[in-house]
Amino acid sequence: MKLRIIFVIATLLVSLTSCIEIIDDLSLRSDGSGTFKYTVNLSSSKVKINSYLALDSLDGKRVPSIEEISSRISAVIESLEKREGISNLSFDANYDDFILKLSFDFKSVKQLQQAIKDVVLEESREKAIKELDETWITADDAAFERSIPKINLDRVNQLKADEIAELKEGKYTSITRFESEIEKCANESSAISKSKKAVMLRTDVYSLSQNTTLLDNTIYLQSNEAEK
Amino acid sequence: MKRTLAIIAIAFSSGIYSQQSEMLVPKDAVSVFSINNINLLQKISLDELVKYEFMEELQQELFDGSTNGRTLKDSGVDFDQRMNVFQGKSDDFTVSGVTFGVENRELLFDVFDDYQPSESSYTDVDFYSSYFNRIAIQGTSAILFRVTPNMRLVDEMTDSIWYARGNSYPWYYEDHYYDEMEEATEEVYEEEEEPLEYFEELETEENTSNPVEETEEYPVAEADPTVKTYYELRDSVEAELQAKYIKMVSDELFIDHESLVTEDTYFKNQLTHISEGIFYLDNSRNFEKTSAFWTMTSMYSGLLRDMEALYEGNVIVGDLYLEDDQVDMKLTMNYGSKLGSIYQELTDTKFDKDVLKYIHKDNSGFFTYNVNMRKAYEQAYDVVVPMLTDAGKPLAGNLLMIELMDELLNKDAIFGVYQGSMFGTFNGIQKVKTKKIVFDYNEETFDYIEREEEAEEDMPIFTLGFTTERSDIPEKILKRSSVLIDELHNEGTYWKIDNAVLNSAPMYLILQNGLFIITNDEDLAMNHTEGYGSEAISRKEGKKAKKSGVMYAYSDMSKAIEQLPRGMFNDQENEIIDVIRGKSGSVQVTSSTTTSAKTDVQITYTFDGKAENSGKYILDLINSLYVISK
Repeated sequence: MKLRIIFVIATLLVSLTSCIEIIDDLSLRSDGSGTFKYTVNLSSSKVKINSYLALDSLDGKRVPSIEEISSRISAVIESLEKREGISNLSFDANYDDFILKLSFDFKSVKQLQQAIKDVVLEESREKAIKELDETWITADDAAFERSIPKINLDRVNQLKADEIAELKEGKYTSITRFESEIEKCANESSAISKSKKAVMLRTDVYSLSQNTTLLDNTIYLQSNEAEK
Repeated sequence: MKRTLAIIAIAFSSGIYSQQSEMLVPKDAVSVFSINNINLLQKISLDELVKYEFMEELQQELFDGSTNGRTLKDSGVDFDQRMNVFQGKSDDFTVSGVTFGVENRELLFDVFDDYQPSESSYTDVDFYSSYFNRIAIQGTSAILFRVTPNMRLVDEMTDSIWYARGNSYPWYYEDHYYDEMEEATEEVYEEEEEPLEYFEELETEENTSNPVEETEEYPVAEADPTVKTYYELRDSVEAELQAKYIKMVSDELFIDHESLVTEDTYFKNQLTHISEGIFYLDNSRNFEKTSAFWTMTSMYSGLLRDMEALYEGNVIVGDLYLEDDQVDMKLTMNYGSKLGSIYQELTDTKFDKDVLKYIHKDNSGFFTYNVNMRKAYEQAYDVVVPMLTDAGKPLAGNLLMIELMDELLNKDAIFGVYQGSMFGTFNGIQKVKTKKIVFDYNEETFDYIEREEEAEEDMPIFTLGFTTERSDIPEKILKRSSVLIDELHNEGTYWKIDNAVLNSAPMYLILQNGLFIITNDEDLAMNHTEGYGSEAISRKEGKKAKKSGVMYAYSDMSKAIEQLPRGMFNDQENEIIDVIRGKSGSVQVTSSTTTSAKTDVQITYTFDGKAENSGKYILDLINSLYVISK
């Protein structure tokens, strides 16, 4: 049952990626701890989402109600909150505009990744998920490397030209913040803030689905460079 | 015209009465679809028909795979006779099947090779049987039929015999079985939650150390094999009753020479029509024989009798005509005097011309519905009250309630607000204004804040309007409600409800020209509360709606389907819609003035494509849909 609901939610999201906006915002402190914020904005697809929610089924699968989706997400959040090294978790769901915001603190990037992997595995009920074997964040004194999970979106490859055109309007924004200043970034598409303490990468959802390394980045911090 | 005359000539030269298969439609048939093969095959050749992919599958299905490679052409069926598909019911059984002509009996049974000759008690009639199905052939006409006894009757007789033999309650094992089923269902549910753990518990050949207790799911067999269990007894009763009713149906057809043609003048008259197919549906017998009312039989038998009388003569008949560039379906709804009197009063009203002002000339589809609820209510009251009075004590309370409501409620106000006439339009897909949230980033820190921005999304535009004489009453309701509901505002000539459609777009309410209009069309609300003026549908179109009786509908299918947003449908539905997109025309529904005896309805589908004829057009469409749905 859980799986079915997750499947339908995933189908809904893929169907609506044309108008989806995702912001992943990672703040790192010098002691290795930090804050992770994840925002999903579907407000420009309100009519479409409400149309889907008004249906009994989509692609032969029952469409869950807002209450069921909300309850499922709450269970995931609760599970995440219990993970080691995770604290101050807050979740805000605005089902009028369809904006979901998740925020929590973590003690180390290792615990952050482990918590995410554990929750995904628990929800999927699969013993192993190949994509979860990867490490998305590594930090050492010299540099900070991050990427996003390489999720296989097979359905995207079956979309028609007009759907792909719409998908290109969806946005994914990845922000990484530090206490110290940034020296440089390996990904040439990176934008560094005027304060030099944050780096932003943006791409459209279709491009990301075709090349999941688009948001990979290695960020060199000034203090680390100086030490070198 | 020439073509029609030619068809008439061919039909008559072939001799309508040479089509005898219809004489074998049992008199208990409640619905019949009869295909006039002579007419049909003028328009779709059998060679063409058997080439379609859907026909290949149908033929394989029909001939159960053991006769691969055969087509309908080789089936021994006589296509100079009608093919009549029927379904019927009596108090005690249902009967369904098909009657058709036989050209070559040898070929026929090459195809129906499951059927074996069986004993016939009728002169010049040969019987063949396969499990529960029978084929009876008289001369060159055949009936393939199945008779199923009413299960309530089977159960009653079985129970009676079972108890008379001194047996106890037979459902012990059944209850036990259901308990097992409930447990099994719970286990299946758990299996989804914890699949691995569940499977680990199962006993396998390799895992005999973990035996699973056997559960008792079926009734225990009788110790004495000559004594029947309850289920065996029920099967015997069912088989006996089936044999009895097969004989009854056969006697009627082959000894008494009674069939639907001899017993029902509606069906008989329908058979004289020169059309490609005819429909017949006897609603009165449907009502009479339906098991849904079985409780009424015992509790309110008088009322049931009255209701049956009300539905007496309620027979729907129709013709299907395939013309060069259109398909016509002509339906006649017949009814008895009581029901007819209500329908006649219901439709005794003037067409409200004001509705035409609100139908845009570029609409994708619209309908008008023209009724007088007040007159229909008065007539229905006069018909129903005597029926409830006759029902006596069981329905005295209901009768009192109806009479009191009739006395105390302000009927002038109720039917003044809602007279019954209405219209609706679909104006295609338009961009509607919605709000979306965007994030603005601070260049100094990349911190972001939310900002509301105007957006546009595609939405189907609908308008629905009701004729009202008392617009002051809805006005009063809206005025008071606006104090209570923040989203409801008076905008002068119209009312607006924010976020009423899919929680995203506004809905508009217009009270003008004796109409209460509900729409999500901003242009109509803001600029055309008095009507579209020169942008409204043409006089010619309006005249068609006005001339039509109780209802009129029109849809430009190419426009309507083209405008359906892809996002609203899944991939497969979109593929089907794409097929229709390539083959669209227009659909028009017109109706006659309703009399106390009948209403005629005509549905015309005109297409713009380059098909050779409408038959081929429809078959192409069916085939495309079939190929996609495979």
